[in-house]
Amino acid sequence: MSSSASHAGSRPIRTARVERIFDHTSDTRSLFLAPVAGSTVRYLPGQFISIAITLPDETRTRPYTIASPPAWGMPFEICFNRIPGGRGADWLFDRKLGDSVEFTGPYGTFSMESAPAAEIIFLADATAVAPIRPMIQHAAAASAPPMMTLLYAARSPDHILYRAEFEILAARANGFHFEPLVLPQSQLYEGLRAEAERRWVRGDGNRTRQFYICGVGKGVIALRDLLRGAGYERRAVHYEQW
Amino acid sequence: MAKLRVIFENGEPERVIEFDPAKAPFHHDGRPGSILDILLGHKIHLEHACGGNCACTTCHVIVKQGGKQLSEPTEEEEDMLDQAPGLTPTSRLGCQSVVEDPNAEITVVIPRYTINLTSEAAEE
Repeated sequence: MSSSASHAGSRPIRTARVERIFDHTSDTRSLFLAPVAGSTVRYLPGQFISIAITLPDETRTRPYTIASPPAWGMPFEICFNRIPGGRGADWLFDRKLGDSVEFTGPYGTFSMESAPAAEIIFLADATAVAPIRPMIQHAAAASAPPMMTLLYAARSPDHILYRAEFEILAARANGFHFEPLVLPQSQLYEGLRAEAERRWVRGDGNRTRQFYICGVGKGVIALRDLLRGAGYERRAVHYEQW
Repeated sequence: MAKLRVIFENGEPERVIEFDPAKAPFHHDGRPGSILDILLGHKIHLEHACGGNCACTTCHVIVKQGGKQLSEPTEEEEDMLDQAPGLTPTSRLGCQSVVEDPNAEITVVIPRYTINLTSEAAEE
């Protein structure tokens, strides 16, 4: 938002401090944010907060998904990567331990209040796994976890975030399957699409699955259209495109 | 010149913006030439928690006049609007609805509440 604009309808602004910094790779970072005065943030797995990016010339509003599940409490984690010309991510990369961050929210309807009983397929690329991770942890902690598969594409093994965590979860044999795909950046969505088509479109006639797709660009829309076009219910194909 | 009249349900005085759609973008959030882009570029605040990326409904507006002079809604916008409280047949997302007609005359209402469905309340 422009700092000189009217703020009619603005929501309560909250403050959190950077409590921990973790670098997944040289261009991918997590900040662990602790709301001030010991307060907490209530959110659903998959939701995001809207951070005020205070640049020299203006304040911009930018969304960052909460990458930690609600059950893990505070601080909460946001995960992001540098992108060319991305002033918001650059600003966040400049935050140091103890720095304050102002935000509103949480927001977003790409979320999971309670795990569906049906099999769940998660499709994500790189940092777009951020909303998926808390959904998986949330569903896995249910008294009767659903069958879940995470098909996760990234351009290098290092960019498969939370790999150890997903592998441990999969090793518990609780119905969670973790399948990383390492592909050239330009082929991430071709790879996801080909696998989705092979398994869940041509593979069988079961159309009761629920899909959660998160990623960047039109590849997300192509996946959505593939699945809806194959007979999955519109509302069974959840997606978030950045 | 196109004309955008903005009515605020919260009682703020209405605003009228005259602009040339060909000069879009006016700001840097939302689709260039969108209602969000136009409002922000003329220093009128419209919430856009997701940065104008069609990932929330906080920029929900109700089009009272000139809906046909806006871009057609995409399936992504329709999917997101399904989640908007106070949805009407002429609801649009400000970040996605682009003024295409250089002589458009459009009136929009900014709803009092643009809450985003779930768990918005934050505990202190």
